[in-house]
Amino acid sequence: MVRVTVDPLTRVVGPLRLDTEVDENGIITEARSSNMIFRGFERIYRGQDPRDSILLSQRICGVCPVAHSIAAVNALDDLYGVAGSVPKDALVARNINHGLNTISNHLLHFYILWGPDLANPAYGNVLSTFGNLGSSVWKEFLGRFAPISYKIDGEAIPPGSSYVGVIPMKKILHDAGAVIGGKMPHQTVMYPGGVTNNPTASDVQTMSSIMSEVVDFLNATSIGIPFEEWVGNTYMASSPKKAADFFIEHLHELTERSLRTNDLSRSNGWGDLELYSALGSELIGEKILGLPISLKHDKMSGYNDLSKIGFLSYGDFYNVEHEGYEPTSPAGDRFQTSGFMTSSLEYHKFDSDKVTESVKHSFYDDYEGDKHPYEGVTEPFTDPDRIDYQDFSAEKYTWSKAPRYEGIPCEVGPFSRLLIMKEPLVTGLVQLFQDNGYSPFNSFTRMIARMQELFIITNEVIQWITTDLDPNGRFRVDVDMSAAEDSRGMGICEAPRGALGHWVITDNDAKVANYQIVTPSAWNLSPRDSEGVPGPLEHALIGSTISAVDNWLGVDFSNPTGILHVGRSYDPCITCAVHTIDLTGKNPPGMVRLL
Amino acid sequence: MSEENINSDNSGNDFDFLRMDWHKFLKARKAGGGFKLLESYLNDDPGDHDFPETRVLWIQGAQCTGCSESLLDASNPALLKAFEILNIDLKRHEAFLAHQGLFVDGEPANTSELNSEILLDEISEQGNYILMVEGAIANGPHGSGKYFMSGNRSSKEMFKKAARNADLIIAVGTCAAYGGINTAGSDIVDILDYRGVAFTKKDPSKGMLKLLGIDKPVINIPGCPPHPDWIIYTLSAIISGNVKIPDDLPEVLDEFGRPKVFFPPDHNVHKDCPRKKFFDNKEFDTCVGGEKCLLRMGCQAFLAHADCALRKWNDGHSYCVQAGSPCIACVEPDFPDNARPLYSSKKNRKRKEADQ
Repeated sequence: MVRVTVDPLTRVVGPLRLDTEVDENGIITEARSSNMIFRGFERIYRGQDPRDSILLSQRICGVCPVAHSIAAVNALDDLYGVAGSVPKDALVARNINHGLNTISNHLLHFYILWGPDLANPAYGNVLSTFGNLGSSVWKEFLGRFAPISYKIDGEAIPPGSSYVGVIPMKKILHDAGAVIGGKMPHQTVMYPGGVTNNPTASDVQTMSSIMSEVVDFLNATSIGIPFEEWVGNTYMASSPKKAADFFIEHLHELTERSLRTNDLSRSNGWGDLELYSALGSELIGEKILGLPISLKHDKMSGYNDLSKIGFLSYGDFYNVEHEGYEPTSPAGDRFQTSGFMTSSLEYHKFDSDKVTESVKHSFYDDYEGDKHPYEGVTEPFTDPDRIDYQDFSAEKYTWSKAPRYEGIPCEVGPFSRLLIMKEPLVTGLVQLFQDNGYSPFNSFTRMIARMQELFIITNEVIQWITTDLDPNGRFRVDVDMSAAEDSRGMGICEAPRGALGHWVITDNDAKVANYQIVTPSAWNLSPRDSEGVPGPLEHALIGSTISAVDNWLGVDFSNPTGILHVGRSYDPCITCAVHTIDLTGKNPPGMVRLL
Repeated sequence: MSEENINSDNSGNDFDFLRMDWHKFLKARKAGGGFKLLESYLNDDPGDHDFPETRVLWIQGAQCTGCSESLLDASNPALLKAFEILNIDLKRHEAFLAHQGLFVDGEPANTSELNSEILLDEISEQGNYILMVEGAIANGPHGSGKYFMSGNRSSKEMFKKAARNADLIIAVGTCAAYGGINTAGSDIVDILDYRGVAFTKKDPSKGMLKLLGIDKPVINIPGCPPHPDWIIYTLSAIISGNVKIPDDLPEVLDEFGRPKVFFPPDHNVHKDCPRKKFFDNKEFDTCVGGEKCLLRMGCQAFLAHADCALRKWNDGHSYCVQAGSPCIACVEPDFPDNARPLYSSKKNRKRKEADQ
């Protein structure tokens, strides 16, 4: 048994430690996910004006600040009792703002945080055993995805064209975010009852032109066919089967065109998404398309015990057909629906009462069983000697609590969202994997879902900007500040990386008595719970192989691409998984806590 | 580059901007419409831009990656262009590069090409680099630094390793400069005990360097997040040699270690505010969405020493007050406590009373 530790898993936000035990065949047999930072964030709101959370919560994460301000403003709309009367123009403005940040996040994740792993030298070694085809695939991977300051065996590698190309896209998406949101990161315009700014006709033009540049990038870099054609045949397909058939047929055409010449270049029709779709999956690449090689990412993170995993989405993006929204049960009235799905794809309506947490394996004093967030107790270790994660058998090993939904650990993020909203391509791919004896829940489908969501949200944002945003509309309603006395509010939304909830309780001075945030990364990177059940990422690592392409060239413990791919496929964000603490124990249950 | 962009009061050398006083800076900006220092330098001296390589070591403590995100938004010039012009070799960065911490049976594994911890040790042994720090450094609990661990070491140990042989430390963002949001007032703030590089809030005796007994020149570029121009133009002034380290620092930095040209002691965001006439006429908004002065909505622009209202954000598209939101003075050492409650003018009154 070999212990392989990745610490820190870089290219995520904040310090994440993934500790594994690996057998002599290179299979991961045990895994622990440790959040290595403690910031005590939510405590700063106590006794303060609840509105501070709109701006200060964004400082939890500079990659998805808008999601935090959306969750906060939803909680405040609820707190002040104005959620039902937010004008639809304000809802459109919020959707645009939030959507721009989601697009920007997904581009950042795919190209800057995750993509460089495709340029891992292990793939060069594997691909070089596959002759001209292998060489040309490796050339494409390096030429597109190599990061800056990159070297292999001492030789400097120029940064990849996609890596370099996405930075200006990130920049202009933030420019558009500033047009509608004041500045980025950490924008300023969310406010209970609406937004603070009035977009102008010129703002609409600026944002439209930026979105058309983004579409140009997607067309030139991400996909080999026009964006509209892709969206029209997948997201807008009449059935999941039609969407999956289109996907496979498109890859077939490309493969047939290219196999004789070994030309997988962009000019021959291979966008980044097609390249990864054909080469990333054993089922699609080798079994369906007949390629001699694949990265086998679909054999990673299959969740070997399907009774111990679920998929959760709070639902997101307001329906802009009418004013106001329902803050606590968004099931049918959002562009993306809320819900809980079992691993056998059984859909259940989301009920926030079913969310609980345990601290048995976290650096906090224990309590019995699991508790709903409102009843949570959090007593952190303040003795440095007790903060020890080196002993693999130690009970306590992380600052994250373990969130559960009816006792089930849940994966959250684009894959869960698209599954729950029954998006045709993802639903069709899940069916395809199941029909062929593969687990549909894997690192490959998770990444395809993120890219597919990038296209879908891009499509919607363009509509919100060009069709729905009315510069002559109403962008706010007045708020009665006294409504915040002895009140409470719940704000839920979907951050780019998954379900995000803010809960606020106020006292009779309309000041914050408790503020709670449960983040997506707390769900995905959860430790074991009171029953000893691992969180999604821990579960996903167990059974995965440690080295590239299913240990194709043998086991290399010192380059654990398996851990890197599985870990990064969740788009982890550690600084989001922050906790507040109750050092005094004087606060009543529910006054503390959190992730 | 247009002639107007050359600051006539500065012998045609507008590259020397860190030493400009605020009024000259404003004049240069206003005349040029943009502040293309790097390009203008290249145009003036086309043969003289072959700077020797500058190695940059970037480490992250308790932060949100907003500073790195902001740096990616650089417009004038774009980030990679600026790195190319300035010949910056970004050796290590937790968010962008290929490496990660790798251990097999507890021992560091692989090589520095893939292992960020071996790389950190190698670079810091070699010396001769600028250390850029993003995020606050944990000292808690009880001086252990264990509230932030990375690569089998506390952020305090990581910072010590990286700082010891640095030529210069640039604290990027309010967290690294002064502790930022990690030091926001609460009943647990003392136990958390997060520190800035050379200051914690306004107190230089509580900076992490002082605690570790390390003496290094430091430039603070605060902001939550900092404007990318502030970071890139500061690097360009140092790399060009126009600001000598450490000799020129007392002249170009203010009492909190900030470049005076971006964070002018005698100038604030309020003085450039497009809504200033409403303040002069005592016309105040008391709810959001109006066009008048936001003082009564808690605006802190008169306490914020920065050039946001002129420079604006994200390629000049907007800034907080323009979007109808009060300035929260995120460049100040006591952010966010200085501005709380964010949407209330009561704090202003209290502060005025306290000052008297």
